[in-house]
Amino acid sequence: MQAVKSYVSEKSIKKKNRLDFVFRNIFRLTAILSASIVIVVIIVIAVRGITPFIQSYTGYNNITGEVILSPVNPFKFLVKSQWLEGAVGASSDYGIGFAIINTMIAVFLSIMITVPVAVVTALLIAKVAPKKISSFLRTVVELLASIPSIIYGVIGLGVITNFVNWIGGLFNYQTAAGLSLLSTVLVLFMMTLPTITAVAETSIRAVKNDIIEGSLALAATNMQTYFKVVLSSAKSGIFAGVILGVGRALGEATAVSMVSGNSFSGVTLNPLATTSTLTSRMLLGIKETSGIDYDIRFSVGLVLMLMILITNVVLKAVMKKVGNLDEN
Amino acid sequence: MNKIEKQNKVVFELKNINLFYDDFQAIKDITMNINANEVTAFIGPSGCGKSTFIRILNRMNDLIPSCEITGDVLFKQKDAYNKDFDVIELRSKVGMVFQKPNPFPMSIYDNIAYGPKCQGIRDKKALDEIVESSLKKAALWNEVSDRLKKSAMSLSGGQQQRLCIARTIAMKPEVILMDEPTSALDPVSTSKIEDLINELKNDYTIVIVTHNMQQAARISDRTAFFLLGELIEFDDTTKIFSKPIHKKTEDYITGRFG
Amino acid sequence: MKTKEKQVKSHYDKIAHTTVYSLGFIGVIILTMVIIYVTMTGISLVNWDLISGDSQDINTNVYLTESQGQYIAQTNLDDDIYYSKVWGLGFIDSTDREGHAIVEIAYIHPDSPFIMSLDKNNNDENGNPVVIELTEDTAIEKAIFNNFTLFTFYTDGAEVMRDAFDQATQIDDVTVQVVGGGIRGSLITTLWMIVITLILAIPIGVSTAIYFNEFSKKSKFSDLIRTLVDMLTGVPSIIYGLLGAAVFIPLLNATGLTAGGSILSGALTMAVILLPTIIKSTEEALKIIPNDLRQGSLALGANQTQTIFKVVLPNATPGILTGVLLGIGRIMGESAALIFAVGAVTKDTVVLTERSSTLAVHIWVIMGGEAPNYELASAIAIIMLVFVFIINFVVKIFAKRLQKNMNWS
Repeated sequence: MQAVKSYVSEKSIKKKNRLDFVFRNIFRLTAILSASIVIVVIIVIAVRGITPFIQSYTGYNNITGEVILSPVNPFKFLVKSQWLEGAVGASSDYGIGFAIINTMIAVFLSIMITVPVAVVTALLIAKVAPKKISSFLRTVVELLASIPSIIYGVIGLGVITNFVNWIGGLFNYQTAAGLSLLSTVLVLFMMTLPTITAVAETSIRAVKNDIIEGSLALAATNMQTYFKVVLSSAKSGIFAGVILGVGRALGEATAVSMVSGNSFSGVTLNPLATTSTLTSRMLLGIKETSGIDYDIRFSVGLVLMLMILITNVVLKAVMKKVGNLDEN
Repeated sequence: MNKIEKQNKVVFELKNINLFYDDFQAIKDITMNINANEVTAFIGPSGCGKSTFIRILNRMNDLIPSCEITGDVLFKQKDAYNKDFDVIELRSKVGMVFQKPNPFPMSIYDNIAYGPKCQGIRDKKALDEIVESSLKKAALWNEVSDRLKKSAMSLSGGQQQRLCIARTIAMKPEVILMDEPTSALDPVSTSKIEDLINELKNDYTIVIVTHNMQQAARISDRTAFFLLGELIEFDDTTKIFSKPIHKKTEDYITGRFG
Repeated sequence: MKTKEKQVKSHYDKIAHTTVYSLGFIGVIILTMVIIYVTMTGISLVNWDLISGDSQDINTNVYLTESQGQYIAQTNLDDDIYYSKVWGLGFIDSTDREGHAIVEIAYIHPDSPFIMSLDKNNNDENGNPVVIELTEDTAIEKAIFNNFTLFTFYTDGAEVMRDAFDQATQIDDVTVQVVGGGIRGSLITTLWMIVITLILAIPIGVSTAIYFNEFSKKSKFSDLIRTLVDMLTGVPSIIYGLLGAAVFIPLLNATGLTAGGSILSGALTMAVILLPTIIKSTEEALKIIPNDLRQGSLALGANQTQTIFKVVLPNATPGILTGVLLGIGRIMGESAALIFAVGAVTKDTVVLTERSSTLAVHIWVIMGGEAPNYELASAIAIIMLVFVFIINFVVKIFAKRLQKNMNWS
């Protein structure tokens, strides 16, 4: 009997094992690379962001020429109600306090109107509407989610600010061509609606059928079942969607910069007045790519990241507490 | 009401019922009556249609779009499937307890108060009273009276099922349908619920689907044997289990199949 | 239940139904509004010139040495074209892409002396003036005749300009303008941005996902890496822009290739932004593949690397492609990050080592400042939306196909 010559030789096995070793490490290295990006981001933003607080920049003053600027006072920075006292490049008296509060106001107001609309839309898609309408609506939501934020900005300037200006006219209030807190809130509403709707829809779908049957067997109508039982069962999933939406709203830059008016100082409570957000303060007014006026934007970015982190932690803690109330 | 009058009161009249899921016929020409204040048991092997049939009584099959029913379903002499018959009203009078306990993720109190609240009852005192009396009737009051505001999910399986029974009782129904109510429970909880059923039949009409023949023999007054969508035999429980008329019934009861 | 209770109940029910449907359709209203506004405002501008044109105006000054003659128009001209028989030029009132009124050349007689006009500012190697062939669709900004004694400007309108030309016996200087407002530069930049970003992001992203799904064992290390990668999605893109400005721009500057922002620094930044999307889509695609397939390959003597490349990855391709398509949509739409990582400057000649704007940044540039050009912005928006919606549609089809393929397991 002839021996069958094997395809496999000792040499080829060794080669294969070497190949495996090489690639395994390549994959591992790329994963480490991807993971390290976050660390790099944090370090870079932190370093560049803290620099204005410890470095003395050289400014230029029209009167006295070159001027040494003292480092920005971090406490004043966080609390001050005006972006800059003094001329650009000639002063280090920056403040972001007002923008922190304005950002929170804008995001809070927009979430207040977005969540009910999103939850009801999700209910409509997941339960109430017949199949064809339901899948049409879902497509609409997906398309809305894919619209780039700059286009929402164009709509903001072209439609929403005119609308707000008109409203101002009704109250005899002179708006800044519609650039306002209200415009910002409406733009944020349009942008976060698809996100929260999509997550809410998934949570509503996940509600077990037996609870729905149980409710109907107790002579509840469909609507009563949806609002009283389904929504409360989907609570935690919906809340997770809200956290996602809040994150998006906090980080939104272009569209908000275009319609907020980028106010220079003060906390804005009047919806028809101009306001500003951390992101709009970062994005607008870039004149040079070096110097204190540029670097301070990194500091604002640092504050933004801290704000997102704190918001996430707080909201997640709230979510747990509400969830625990249920269990006990 | 003396026994003769009781026996004459018919709650459900079902005539020539056929049920289809698209082309598949799940129920074949069944005619039967359900009497008041009795426990009627539906027995039969898996897939024989007993669960499907019991859901006809409270129109739970409406939830399945592919389901079609022909024949007459008369609840207290009125056509329950007529367009003018309010299905909500039917379900308030014909309650259902499911195989797997399905309490809502709310407090015990809110679970029981749910049905009455949906009917518009808002008065706190009235609701408190309903909750207490329903829990007492379901033999659960003593165990939970001190923690009504706690979540229903913190109860054991047997307690949850009694909660579901209490929830149904809170609607003050006339009929209670039970679809294999003890098959997911341990023997101790099962016997507690069987005792409960024995008491409940004084106030309510009970229809129970069970795959446990001994349970049917223990607690029911009349038993219906289903096989492949047909009603093979329907008679007093004692008769079914001692002297069944049909051979198929006898084969099932003696354990030759099923 | 009494009838009154029933009526009240169904009343509430109807209110609930109406509310749910009305609120639920707000999304539809928003989408319709966006599409209608963008289309109505910008559609008039969308044509090949927009796509292929430069964004800046290009002015040339020409003059003639030939004297006039008589040039009868060769074709029947429309009423709105004012024709100068003296020079063989037909003028028409038109608007540029910013909506300003201009005067364009609608028709040139084939024998018109303007066919061979001379460039005032450029000489060729022999010292002779460069010959400029005047073409239709260029605009006349101003013209000076008769030894600087007669002037006409585009603000005069086509008819008056024609009359002025008729009176001219000597052409001293005609400022000819190729109207800007085109987006060719930004289109090309966007395409380059997509290509380079994908070249960077796909290998790293797919690789990372392969590590997570095929290799990593449960350990503190792999949990840590996973958490760090998950955190990538929580960072807003403007922060990545700051990263680009702080790291990638100086990095590239150090190589000497660039001086300041560039398409390359933008692409590096976009690759970082895309990474989580690619990783996630690839992981989902890998998860779906049943282990039997992998074990079958290993049982035949292949090693893990061969299994991955020959068996697993090909089956994961549709899922990976989904992530890539979504990424392309994001690259097209990204603005804030690129403003920091590249700069907000539009260009007509696109060089990878220099700044340029993508379509989204181009919109930012023209909407900023005191005179935002809504028409041009909307026109660009139309183009962007068409692409984004098509990508969305394709992704949906892919997802459906994926579902079908899942049934073979």
